[in-house]
Amino acid sequence: MTASALTRPGERDRLIIKFAEIDWTFCLVLCLIAGAGALIMFSAADLSWTPWAWPHLSRFAIFFVLMIVLAMCPLTLWFQVAYPVYVVALVLLVGVEFFGDVSKGAQRWLQIGPLRFQPSEIMKVGVVLALARFYHGMSADSARASWWLLVPAALIAMPTLLVAHQPDLGTSLLILFTGVAIMILAGLSWKFIAAGIGAVAVAAPMMYFFVLHEYQRTRVDVLFNPAADPSGAGYHILQSKIALGAGGLMGKGFGLGSQSQLNFLPEKHTDFIFAALAEEFGFAGCFSILFLYGAVIFMALRTASISHSHFGRLATAGVTATFALYVLINGAMVMGLAPVVGVPMPLLSYGGTVMLTVMIGFGLVQSVRVHRYSEVTAGRGALL
Amino acid sequence: MSEPTIFFTEVNERQGAFTRRAFLLGGLTGVGLVALGGRLVHLQVLEANRYQKLAQSNQFNFRLVPPPRGVILDRNGVTLASNRPNFRLLVSRETDTDVEGIVDKLAQLVPITDERRERLIRDIKRAPRKSPVQVMEDMSWEEFSRINVRSPELPGVTADMGEVRVYPFGGAFAHVIGYVARVNDRDIKAVTEQGLSIDPLLYNPGFRIGRQGVEKAFDIELRGKAGAQKQEVDAQGRVVRNDPEGDIPPMPGKEIRLTLDSDIQQRALEVMGEESGAIVLMDCRTGDLLCMASAPSFDANRFVKGLSTPEYKALAEYERKPLLDKAMSGTYPPGSTFKPMVAMAALEAGVDPNVRINCSGGWYFGNRTWRCWGRHGSQNMHEAIKNSCDIYFYQTALKVGPDGIAKAAQAFGFGQTFDIGIPGQKKGIVGSREWKRKANRNPANRTWFPGDTVNYGIGQGLIAVNPLQLAVMTARLANGRKALSPRLVKSVGGVERPRGDAAPDLPYAQEFLEYVRGGMIAVANDASGTAFRQSQLGLGDIRMAGKTGTAQVRVFREGESRKSAGFRWGLRDHNWYIAFAPIEAPRYAISVLIEHGGMGGGTAAAPRAREVMRMALLKDPEIRARIEQPMPMPELDPAAPIEGAAPEPAIEGAPPPPTPTPEAPQ
Repeated sequence: MTASALTRPGERDRLIIKFAEIDWTFCLVLCLIAGAGALIMFSAADLSWTPWAWPHLSRFAIFFVLMIVLAMCPLTLWFQVAYPVYVVALVLLVGVEFFGDVSKGAQRWLQIGPLRFQPSEIMKVGVVLALARFYHGMSADSARASWWLLVPAALIAMPTLLVAHQPDLGTSLLILFTGVAIMILAGLSWKFIAAGIGAVAVAAPMMYFFVLHEYQRTRVDVLFNPAADPSGAGYHILQSKIALGAGGLMGKGFGLGSQSQLNFLPEKHTDFIFAALAEEFGFAGCFSILFLYGAVIFMALRTASISHSHFGRLATAGVTATFALYVLINGAMVMGLAPVVGVPMPLLSYGGTVMLTVMIGFGLVQSVRVHRYSEVTAGRGALL
Repeated sequence: MSEPTIFFTEVNERQGAFTRRAFLLGGLTGVGLVALGGRLVHLQVLEANRYQKLAQSNQFNFRLVPPPRGVILDRNGVTLASNRPNFRLLVSRETDTDVEGIVDKLAQLVPITDERRERLIRDIKRAPRKSPVQVMEDMSWEEFSRINVRSPELPGVTADMGEVRVYPFGGAFAHVIGYVARVNDRDIKAVTEQGLSIDPLLYNPGFRIGRQGVEKAFDIELRGKAGAQKQEVDAQGRVVRNDPEGDIPPMPGKEIRLTLDSDIQQRALEVMGEESGAIVLMDCRTGDLLCMASAPSFDANRFVKGLSTPEYKALAEYERKPLLDKAMSGTYPPGSTFKPMVAMAALEAGVDPNVRINCSGGWYFGNRTWRCWGRHGSQNMHEAIKNSCDIYFYQTALKVGPDGIAKAAQAFGFGQTFDIGIPGQKKGIVGSREWKRKANRNPANRTWFPGDTVNYGIGQGLIAVNPLQLAVMTARLANGRKALSPRLVKSVGGVERPRGDAAPDLPYAQEFLEYVRGGMIAVANDASGTAFRQSQLGLGDIRMAGKTGTAQVRVFREGESRKSAGFRWGLRDHNWYIAFAPIEAPRYAISVLIEHGGMGGGTAAAPRAREVMRMALLKDPEIRARIEQPMPMPELDPAAPIEGAAPEPAIEGAPPPPTPTPEAPQ
């Protein structure tokens, strides 16, 4: 097939062509990360496929297929469902306030019929779609500085506050940062950005004293002094750092990490899986995984930059921002640089919800890549 | 580029802004990833050693292995204190342990009452993390194995075999050896006040600290040094694996050998019966104490488990005071057993022992009549000792004066404590002019009156001694040369302690000592001596010498009978007997105190002294050889032909055949 063949009208809508247009290198890297996750879970479960490694892999397989299917969906479809998804997610978030299940002291789960899920995860995709949709019909000048900016601000603020109220500080920050990243990418004036940074610098200490819950505050405290309460609040950070450091350059070897094997490392298959990996595979393993994450982010950003539609660009960049934030926040937390927030390492950690969100996001990214030449049209600033 | 592209400035401007900003944010992400990488280098390369050590201290636990406490033996190697195995059940707490759940599970396996359950839950919750709390001890083998089989489902629960102190003789050595008991806050405080660091052993459940006697005095030696067992544990504190190569073996406590003889000690308690008092028997050549018994005694094993309040109250409030070591911690007037000291002082002061003093049963001096227990007629010193004549010693004491008597008393061991290795000795009182001046605040009581001297002469008044001191006095008298000091602890960890005969000579002439001994021989061997009947050993030519004593505990009113009969126990006289044997070359000296016992003279103490002395003599191989005099054999000339014996082939190494030997003419 020659490049000229693809210029024929309708040629790019053929399924086989779309399929070939998917970034298979990108897919391979995703598989490597998920595979590494399964490997560590296998080791952490005392060299057993159950209870984690096998479900992790099979889940990834299903979601991988879902990602390919979503990649086939035309960009206009994403465009059309953008607002509905956001609205539904918002309604569900309000629903959680009233009908949510309490799990570990926070209302995060919602049960509808046989389905049990966290609406905040849908919102991660929803907010990206809605913002991209909104900015798509906005001029560069309006995006820089105008009263119209109150709309994306509200789109970000509503879910952020609702999720923070659950309370799920990690997800709420993730939504906020993703939204802000999209606003910046859309061309927000540097004055606003500088003002925002200034406001955060002032507000952060006040947040600490007046907004944070007691348990959240201790998490911040122990970050600076984990030895103060080694068996209590500082336990997670301390044990995680021990696992990381004990791994050394080349690691203790597969199945030989005492921190994870003897359960000193808490949440060794979910939030702290990176520490388990670090212990058994050392600096070499950690560096490889970070490199793979860097590659994913780089490839996704390249996809965003070659998209012809503003919607596609911003949506891809938004998904990438979420993903990058996951990696950076989890990495910093595991290495004792950030307080303990419930943010997993995407694809590496065990857990279906986050993996589903990430894979749907990557479905969107691949869809943007496949349909990078198609232009999406809609009225400026239209809500639907 | 032939693909359809909509070109208008608006779109280009947005795309341009996006690309620039995407580049910027992508760069920021890259910086973030590099920062994480830098942190990894810091943790995994630069500080790896430190974290590897921390991971190891997580992974491995050193479980303290208590050392076996040193055994205590008597002079012949008979065990007086040892350890027996004890199956214990321990629970240690982790941060997330469900204490109630664990205790309830245990209650299904071993008997735990509801009341006990509440206390256990409280104790476990209060205990620091990972420090075990003892739930049960002395479990049966069935209970022990039941727990061990279920241990995987009982995190933090361990059933192990500890050791518990056991005293096979129960009460016979309770005062000397003492006992061990649970460590309390005061013990911990005592250690910190000495500026020492606290041995972690003290916190080990089941560890017992020495509380009295040898157990207390030699606690550190007996304790030994704790070892450690290297274990791999998981985060819940469950043992995953043992690592025997990393174990540090415990150092057992040292063995302590006493000079006591368990047979003699037991015999002493046996003959005491229901009486209250003490018996001390000492070797007059070496100073070794072969018996130091105080009656009534108590079962030291009860103290190891911990005494209940009513039990303790019963012991503490009993009027015969089982908890008091009367052999060294109780002081009493010596009564007539002090007369040898007065005699010694008199001889030293130049009093002629042949000068006679008439005893008419009473003597008027200092505006009162001083009574004698009998009417002895004309007495020289020898007869006065034999008859224990009070009148003679009233007057002799006046001749010598108190300071000469005090000097003799001190030379023979009164008014002092001896280094026998265990605490609790009472010095008693040896009265003298100076002592009285210092001891009293009231000027009226500070002057020494002649009446004090008169009283002193018969061992009453300003003189108080303990049975150990009296035994030492007797032993020094019998030894005749050395100022022997008593020894109770023979060796610690195989290292011999200094013997009691490494002592200076007595500052008294041999003939004086011999004269006083002669008086004591007469007490026990003249048919008219005060303890003649009670002092017959029945061991052939091995005979005993002694001196009786009666110590008053109440003030007699004018005209009142001095007899103890009819008075309640607590008001009767104390009864003493001191003795040594054999008379010609003394081996053993004894002192016997029977509190409020008997009717005076040789009634209560002397027969008991005889029994214990017999035991000591019969156990002495030399003495025994003398008693069991074998039929004398003639010296055989090995070259002489054997009459009447069949010639036998000479087998090398075979014992010679028994040969009938004719009795040789003596």
